[in-house]
Amino acid sequence: MASVRERLDELVGEFADLDAREKLELLVDFAHGLPALSAEYVARKAVEDRRVHECQTSVFLWTESAGGSARLVAEVAPEAPTVKGFVAILADAINGRPVADVATISDDILDRMGLADVLGILRTRGLRAIVARVKRGFAEPTAG
Amino acid sequence: MPDYIHPEVLVSTEWVAEHLSDPQVRIVESDEDRALYTQGHIPGAVEIDWAVDLQCPIVRDYIDRAAFEKLCAERGISNDTTVVFYGDKNNWWACYAFWVFKLYGHKDCRVMDGGRKRWELDGRAWSNERVSSPLAHYTAQEQDGSIRALRDEVLKHTKAGKQLLDVRSPEEYRGERMHMPDYPNEGAIRGGHIPGAQNVPWPMNCNDDGTFKSAKDLEKLYIKELKMKRRSPTIAYCRIGERSSLTWFVLTYLLGFGNVKNYDGSWLEWGNAVRVPIAKGAEPGGVVVAVASAPAMHA
Repeated sequence: MASVRERLDELVGEFADLDAREKLELLVDFAHGLPALSAEYVARKAVEDRRVHECQTSVFLWTESAGGSARLVAEVAPEAPTVKGFVAILADAINGRPVADVATISDDILDRMGLADVLGILRTRGLRAIVARVKRGFAEPTAG
Repeated sequence: MPDYIHPEVLVSTEWVAEHLSDPQVRIVESDEDRALYTQGHIPGAVEIDWAVDLQCPIVRDYIDRAAFEKLCAERGISNDTTVVFYGDKNNWWACYAFWVFKLYGHKDCRVMDGGRKRWELDGRAWSNERVSSPLAHYTAQEQDGSIRALRDEVLKHTKAGKQLLDVRSPEEYRGERMHMPDYPNEGAIRGGHIPGAQNVPWPMNCNDDGTFKSAKDLEKLYIKELKMKRRSPTIAYCRIGERSSLTWFVLTYLLGFGNVKNYDGSWLEWGNAVRVPIAKGAEPGGVVVAVASAPAMHA
């Protein structure tokens, strides 16, 4: 199985050569692929403080470890497909791979995806914040 | 019951649905999240993005006149086109784009009341087809300084105690929140508000379905409760000028204020500027913790 970094490189590579419109379309495809919360997480959302407060969008994240294997579960408001698509990409790269691997995600993935030109500086800062939050979360994951 | 002073600038989703193939009309979507347009837009609508299309990539300013002309031409907008703006977030960015179009003198600008939210609630169709526009010809005017306030003017305005509106959240206004954690460079390095500014958070202009509040409710808020005067010069600001363009729109067109400017530099400029006055706390005057007239430092 590829490492988190290798899988992310594959995903990022899909974006690199696309034009702006195609990049946004691919992000929307990823957004549609983010699974809805299971009944268990819907119940937990009501009682746990999993909201990412620094995010303008409504984002709920769980960064969990089961036997050293990482699991990123997320719910992102439907009115924020950019954030939702980006979180789906992170989940694809992270889930089922070693927790310790998450720290290897490089901070320049947004640059490598070429999203800065498509989204502008302020929006990409928001996505950078999510990368930081996910990495921090897996530095001390909760049991899943 | 009072009506809006310039009701012609607002159109309903029904009006838009009836004008989808009208060559005289261009529907323009402007969003907080660009992928919303990609995912589904009003059939035939083009996108104008506040960050990528309207901002100059070098200087912190809007695109210049030539770039604006090119943008309009590429979107199939001529000088006589009726441009209808709509978007997410209760039309924040739609009002922002509307304001930039007015800055360059576009005559017939309108806003679709309720934006994406109302279109969705009305059960109308979305399209994800790419929209291509025949190249139009556009000649822009010089920037209209009567709707845009720059920092020095705001400084004179606050010193003169003129009408000033801060449309950010109460936490931002009081100076308790400057920027969001993990957004190291996005915010300002000082918190608070411009002295004399009254705090009217932008959502107070809107109903739950994204439409604007009635003329009666808006008059009650601005004229009766805040005692604002339609003829007095007014400046509105927020963090980067987007929420305040919505308030600028409300005051200018719905309530008929005669002289309203948007301070687009807003808190991201003021909260970083050296030696401008700042008030902390819930009161407009607050505690002025720095004054522009402080004695000059001697090197």
